[in-house]
Amino acid sequence: MAFLRRNEPAEALGVGYQIPRNSLALLMVAQAVVVLPHAAHITLWIIGVGFVCGCWRWMVFQGRWDYPQRWVKALLVVASVIGVGVSGKNVFSLETATGLLIVAFALKLVEMKSRRDAYIVIHLCYFIIAAEFLFDQSIGAALYGVLAMIIVTAAFVGLHQLHTRVRVATSLRTAAVLVSQAVPLMLVLFLFFPRVAPLWSVPLPGGARTGISDHIAPGDIAALTRSDDIAFRAVFDGAIPAMRDLYWRGLVYSNFAQGTWFVGGLPTTADNMPVQAGGLASFLPKRVGTPIDYQVLLEPTQESWLFALDVAAPVGRGTALTRDFRLIADGPVHSVMHYRAQAFAGAATDVELPEWLRRRETQLPPGDNPRIVAFAKDLAARSSDQQTYLDNVLKYIRTEPFYYTLNPPTLDDAHSVDSFWFDSRRGFCSHFAGAFVYLARAVGIPARMIGGYQGGEVNPLTGHLVVRQYDAHAWTEVWLPGRGWVRIDPTAAVAPARIESGLNAALSETDRAVLSSVTAGHFEGVPGLRDVFYLFESMQHRWNMWVVGYDTEIQARYLADLLGEVTPTRVGLAMLLGGGLSLALVVLSLFWRRRPEPDHPAQRIFRRFADRLVRSGLVRRPDETPARFLHRVNKARNRPTTDVAELVDQLDALLYNPDVECSQQALRSLRSGLRRLQLDVALRARA
Amino acid sequence: MAVELSAFERSPRFSRWLDRRIPPTRRITLSQQSIFIFPTLTGFLFGGLIVLLILGAINYQNSLVYGVAFMLGSLFLVTILYTFRNLSGLTIELVGAGVGYVGEDVEFQVRVSRPKGKGREGVQLGWLGAITQWAELYDSEACTVRLFVRAERRGWLDPGRLLIETQYPLGLLRAWTWVDLGARALVYPQPIFLDHPEHIARRGDDGELVDPQGSDDFNDMRKYRPGDPIRHVMWRVYARSDELVVKEYTSYLDPRLMLDYDRVSGGVEERLSRLTGMTLSAARSGREFGLILPGVRIGPSIGDSHRDSILRALALHGIPQA
Repeated sequence: MAFLRRNEPAEALGVGYQIPRNSLALLMVAQAVVVLPHAAHITLWIIGVGFVCGCWRWMVFQGRWDYPQRWVKALLVVASVIGVGVSGKNVFSLETATGLLIVAFALKLVEMKSRRDAYIVIHLCYFIIAAEFLFDQSIGAALYGVLAMIIVTAAFVGLHQLHTRVRVATSLRTAAVLVSQAVPLMLVLFLFFPRVAPLWSVPLPGGARTGISDHIAPGDIAALTRSDDIAFRAVFDGAIPAMRDLYWRGLVYSNFAQGTWFVGGLPTTADNMPVQAGGLASFLPKRVGTPIDYQVLLEPTQESWLFALDVAAPVGRGTALTRDFRLIADGPVHSVMHYRAQAFAGAATDVELPEWLRRRETQLPPGDNPRIVAFAKDLAARSSDQQTYLDNVLKYIRTEPFYYTLNPPTLDDAHSVDSFWFDSRRGFCSHFAGAFVYLARAVGIPARMIGGYQGGEVNPLTGHLVVRQYDAHAWTEVWLPGRGWVRIDPTAAVAPARIESGLNAALSETDRAVLSSVTAGHFEGVPGLRDVFYLFESMQHRWNMWVVGYDTEIQARYLADLLGEVTPTRVGLAMLLGGGLSLALVVLSLFWRRRPEPDHPAQRIFRRFADRLVRSGLVRRPDETPARFLHRVNKARNRPTTDVAELVDQLDALLYNPDVECSQQALRSLRSGLRRLQLDVALRARA
Repeated sequence: MAVELSAFERSPRFSRWLDRRIPPTRRITLSQQSIFIFPTLTGFLFGGLIVLLILGAINYQNSLVYGVAFMLGSLFLVTILYTFRNLSGLTIELVGAGVGYVGEDVEFQVRVSRPKGKGREGVQLGWLGAITQWAELYDSEACTVRLFVRAERRGWLDPGRLLIETQYPLGLLRAWTWVDLGARALVYPQPIFLDHPEHIARRGDDGELVDPQGSDDFNDMRKYRPGDPIRHVMWRVYARSDELVVKEYTSYLDPRLMLDYDRVSGGVEERLSRLTGMTLSAARSGREFGLILPGVRIGPSIGDSHRDSILRALALHGIPQA
């Protein structure tokens, strides 16, 4: 396109182009700022490469070193690409791609000569800012992104600020103004730009896996309690159910081997096939009573399971139910996920238990934990029916010296359940749940361990429920004839406070000290701090709800509220209107001129005099002082007089001498003098 | 950067349209009437980046990547206003045109002033084919930019339309305009200096100075040197003594030098160049001199303005007055 103009400066002249000093400094700062948050997921030597390249470039700028030779650059590129390939676990992962991008970016430093190179680096900077959001979408990351964007934009502006007094601060200020002026328009685009489904599948960031996993060994959940990371937030349409009813079901552990409970292991995958929300199969629970409607904003887990109350009925797209009534997502959750669900308290499930399922939920490894099996058989013999047997087990837990603790002693590997039930008697929820399932299965009662979260904390500011990792919990489900699956939480038998009011209340003093987590409970008695904590938490929640979780569904709902009806025309019009208004604000700030300061009266008189003279062919030149102009006018008179000097004195005194009072009389005298002069010239021009 | 026309701007239709849209004037204040704006290559690169980010945001369903894309899009739109404003309201005025000789750069002075308020940055001016200059309008409200044009021919030099352009603030867009300030500068012929300008000076009959190579009055005799006119050889002496002796003649020169077109050798331009060189030497020596061109006679006189009027006559010789 010959019509386009390339913005190439001095190279065309053969003059060595140097990127302006302030812009170069800003560019290097911008590169560092942009790469810094990526340090968490790229290998560290890349940062080292960037640092070395940065130092080299600065030495080039100082004129001490030269740009590297071509072969040095080639060697660096090859070595870095191989390095990234070798150090990444998966060549096609997002982390490797980012690493490669950042290496290329670092190497570009030593090659940054022309203005075009600077443009490329700036564009890469913007790209890398966006790439970081694939890994972290918190408020902090967003604020950091804005800061980085201002610095990058400052480098960009600096390339075009060529007046002599330009400084880094000037560029930064201009960039900050530019970015802030772009914000309203950005918000309009953010709200109205149609959100569409992914066009093709892409590799997603791995990220650390925290939270409940697909297997539970004794003590696993106790380890989780040391984290106050948020697992998810929930918003209820109606009132929040009582704390003791908040069982967030996530995983079902049916298999036991070597002291660990595992998920899955079903005979065929077909049994675990998700049942789409639309086509509810016959085994699904009957919907009874009024449903509890709620939505969840789940923090990334890198897994596809979701957490739901009781037996969930999924609402909306992207979620489905499995054969064991778990809610799952379409794919692993890599960024904050928003979903809606309904809960039906007391809905019976699997009233008719298929034989294969009964077999599955009663299996135990033969020969394992012989003592507890014997104990179960003995207790069952003394109980009239299954219900009584289970009650007796719970009573046994309640009455015998069992302890609920975060730091249970290490158990015997071979027969860990025996070791817990008879010897240590100290355990966390998973110990009790595991032993309970074992006791049930030992006498042929179908039972399984359930993993998830229990409870949560209500933020009084927004009324949403925050569930943290330390709310992780394990309990059991037992199948009883005629009733289906019944939830039994053996922890409630040993530590009722855990279920009623949370972990903190259930723990002993020493255990509580172990918990390093920052919970709102710690601010008990410090009202100010506690409010700040809640405020911060509610901000995070709103951010997730309205910004991070702003997807097709929320957009549709929001636009329906705003526009009444969502039609392309309405959305288009709203976008135009909003965009126009935001740009109008910028126009106003750019083109608004303050009313000029009123001129000095003498100045005004002189200007009017000069304007009148234009008609006589005398134009005051831009570089002519009033005095010189008056003398020139005087010469154009028929008979030049000497009193023009007096007129000049008068004018100068009025304009510049602070001691001379600007009286009406003085002004009148000046005006009449100028008037006479002008009439003389006009008469002569006519003659 | 040398100013070049884009393919589009080179068409005669564009130039006719431009003449209607921005008529020639000595002083012009830029407004939307006269300012054009279009993205640069960098602007298109930036647009590509935005599209890439939106694709990424869609595929990763990432709100904050959407945010970055929209932020950059908004920045682009806001910079349209910035770039436009950077030229809007500027007043361009031709304040002076220099003179020069063929082969030299001729200076034009263009005054650029801005309204009160925010400073303007990165404004460039340049004639077509010449190097652009920066106008310093950040702190000061006005500045005079000196622009140079290579003079190729003697006579009036018309540099054509003046380009005023800016890419501030991000280089994504270029706002520019072509204004015709009616600028013209006088270009004198390229001077050719001779070793002995008096050779071709027109001589008078009386005066004080003696031209040693003149031929009017016999003065002395001396040995022949190669190059002496053959008719000055005293053959009688040669017959007698076998020695070549020449008569030396001298002339009385009129100190008032008349530079005569007809007495200079060469083609038209060469003659004018020689006369220019002689004019400059004569003016420097401080003697009275005049010029005779076909149809023009500028009587002998001294002084800078006399020299300038002679140079002007030489520059405009044979050029129909516009």
